Amino acid sequence: MNRHPYLMPLKKDHDAGKVTRREFLRTATLLGVSSATAYGMIGLVDPVSAADHMPKGGTLRVETTVYDIKSPATATTTADPMIFAQVVEHLTQTGTDNITRPHLLESWEPSADLKTWVLRVRQGVKWHDGRQFTADDVIWNLKRLLSDETGSSVLGLMKPYLLKEVDTGEKDDNGNAVIRHELWAENAIEKTDEMTVTLNLAEPQLAVPEHLYHYPAVMMDPEGGGIFDVDTVGTGAFRLTEMEVGRRAVIEAVDDYWGEGPYLDRVEFIDVGGNAQAIMNALLSGQVDGSFTVQPEFAAPLDARENLQRYEVVTADTAITRMNLNHKPFDDARVRKAFRLALDAPRAAEAAFGPFASPAEHHHVSPVHPEYAELPPMARDVEAAKALLAEAGYPDGVEVELTIQQNPPHHLRSATVMQEMWKDAGITCNINVVPNGQYWDVWTTAPLGTTVWAHRPLGVINLSLAYRSGASWNESAYANETFDELLTKAESFPDPRERSKVMADIQALLQEDGPIIQTYWRKLVTYYDKRVMGFAMHPTSQVFFNKMAIQSA
Amino acid sequence: MVRKILSRLAQYGFTLLAASFLLFTLTEFSPGTVASKILGPYALENQVALLNAQLGLDEPLLHRYVDWLQTLVGLSPNLLPEAAPGLGLSDPRGDKYFGNFGYSLMMKEPVLDVLADRIGHTAWLSAWALGLTIPISLLLGTLAGMHAGSSVDRVISTVTVTLTSLPEFVVAVGLLLIFVASLGWLPGTSSLQPGDQWSTGAQLVLPVTVLLIASGAYLTRIVRASVAETMQADYVRTARLKGLSPRRVIWAHVLRNAMIAPITVILLQVNWILTGVVVVEAIFAYPGLGSLMLRAALFGDIFTVQALTMLALSVALITQFLGDVAYAILDPRIRVD
Repeated sequence: MNRHPYLMPLKKDHDAGKVTRREFLRTATLLGVSSATAYGMIGLVDPVSAADHMPKGGTLRVETTVYDIKSPATATTTADPMIFAQVVEHLTQTGTDNITRPHLLESWEPSADLKTWVLRVRQGVKWHDGRQFTADDVIWNLKRLLSDETGSSVLGLMKPYLLKEVDTGEKDDNGNAVIRHELWAENAIEKTDEMTVTLNLAEPQLAVPEHLYHYPAVMMDPEGGGIFDVDTVGTGAFRLTEMEVGRRAVIEAVDDYWGEGPYLDRVEFIDVGGNAQAIMNALLSGQVDGSFTVQPEFAAPLDARENLQRYEVVTADTAITRMNLNHKPFDDARVRKAFRLALDAPRAAEAAFGPFASPAEHHHVSPVHPEYAELPPMARDVEAAKALLAEAGYPDGVEVELTIQQNPPHHLRSATVMQEMWKDAGITCNINVVPNGQYWDVWTTAPLGTTVWAHRPLGVINLSLAYRSGASWNESAYANETFDELLTKAESFPDPRERSKVMADIQALLQEDGPIIQTYWRKLVTYYDKRVMGFAMHPTSQVFFNKMAIQSA
Repeated sequence: MVRKILSRLAQYGFTLLAASFLLFTLTEFSPGTVASKILGPYALENQVALLNAQLGLDEPLLHRYVDWLQTLVGLSPNLLPEAAPGLGLSDPRGDKYFGNFGYSLMMKEPVLDVLADRIGHTAWLSAWALGLTIPISLLLGTLAGMHAGSSVDRVISTVTVTLTSLPEFVVAVGLLLIFVASLGWLPGTSSLQPGDQWSTGAQLVLPVTVLLIASGAYLTRIVRASVAETMQADYVRTARLKGLSPRRVIWAHVLRNAMIAPITVILLQVNWILTGVVVVEAIFAYPGLGSLMLRAALFGDIFTVQALTMLALSVALITQFLGDVAYAILDPRIRVD
């Protein structure tokens, strides 16, 4: 196997102390080195392969919302894969350490220009019915996920480098052209041999392994037509044996899983309606052994319980208050900057979350991202904000409406803090709280709205999805050629330090001209009974039940 | 009498039809489309437009209402399973049957199945709540009303006025703090999961208690006022003066006449407990119709909301009908009119 040319310089940098251990591991695995080899290159043992002796058997009861998951391809929340990803698996897996490793793949190998990715399918992986997992399965799934008919969000994610738009010549009822998507080239997804798939990209892409762990991108058995249900054939450590949407689901261990575990016999998913109070109640009275997540407001009574262990992780999970440039006054960069300058982000984060968040810097790149560049603090400057508003033609200030989701309640707390701070700069903000479902109808069109963005392991992933001109999830209608060029440049550097130099410019540009206001990064928190072993909080709340066990009472 | 009942039933039928049209029209104004609910926020516009077209959502409102009504009464099939084969929708009753409310967008199952699971749980909770609320309220209210102004009346009145003024969620959180967080005597949720370490009985204690307090205190106040007023009536004084025993006065003269107002309230409580116990069910994670309504409304699951609203309307009409019959039995003057 050809190793990526950057690998040896990376190791030298690590040995010289220029790159941290985590950065080395993340980048080396990204460049196609197996996790165990990457750990071995710096004299360590991969913790994944060093699992302690775990107790066998038992049933784990976990609280989560049991959504309908018949169509994993159209999953829309990170709670969905908590159940289905135990049965049908991803090609890659981002671990609790934020490092992405091959999973159903044995390895990947990018070309030096990051435009060709060779995906090697893991040998010895079998579907539950005994059939070998092969390149054909990978190709069937990728093509299905990328088709318009499937309706998966994977399409929006991979569209820039795998698809092209085709105008059908038809018009819809509103007179808009009906657009379809096709692979950008015939060989975009190519079968090299029975166990190898080559992705030929339209443009360089660094984050292919991370994209393959996007939650709907699980490998379904082609014979099942992409439907997930009780007894669906997968490659995972468990089978789904019961499913009652809104109530409960049960998975049971399979005998001959290809990977680690499973140690548990059975996992029961208990739905208590998603009510934060009910989740706490269920944990307090021992009706569940753990929970998907817990709202920080309920931490105190749970901390007081001796049998419960708190788990938390610092993430790049956040909410972005984005200004839509199609609406006045946000079409003016001076106004956008004034909205940022009028805020004291550290105080806003503290007031809304206490110890359960860290301050952000209005550029959507987190200190947990490997390419994060530290910039001088963007301090609050109310006078400068007023001056910018006046310069933009709003000497008496502006009045705006901020649309936020009803749940979780911290959206309203955060919005209220911003509302109060903005008052000093002459910005009158009316908060419009809408049910969560209703928000998703206006998230790309509301003039000012707060949108939740889940953690993604690399900073460039979010920037590419949300702020590149014409990007699928560009909710602010931001279009800036300089930004696009810088981002494309950043995406071409596998070395996080090189990327970081470009990111410094991108981050500064977003602070100056960007369409967002961002005051916090959220910590994710949950609790498990102390008898539960092998759990670690994942930055997108994923749980690997095959690695977990429970000690008998 | 029979003609009167038939006339009422015809009125109810018309009310249901008119309400169904209003309901259908109102849900038109709910945000988003069926397709955007199914595909979620991250689907691209053209993906949503494709599914919308397949579902025929571009027809005029009246046309779609007639389609919906025809599907409801079993004359035409639901289009969703064919338009979105990737969702794996199927209905064991076939595609044409009476009562076909379509598929829950949230659960991707026939609405009837979603409701059927919940109705039993709500009926069970209601039976316990009403089975305790009605006798206890009648007993305490009658006791207080018979002895209006006495210390017994003052104690009952003070307690019930206080409890009536407490919202359900305050009572629920208070009871949770005491019996779950502090004492650990009772389970914090009542999700009735198989294999739960807490018995079903233990799981019902807190929600039933909250409902008992929420509706019982109010009902006791109504019974007390009605009994106290009846106790002042001339015919009660006459009954006493002619030497009837107090027990006979109460049973034969006071209770029967004092029950008209409480029956109205009892039927309203039945209506509420059967279809609208949203707060209690959400806090205790009770798998009934109230928590389903909340979840469906927040999700924008319009077909489930439509079915639940029609169900609530039917329950309201049934309780109203029972109320009319009960008044006629209790008061001969109503029968004659």
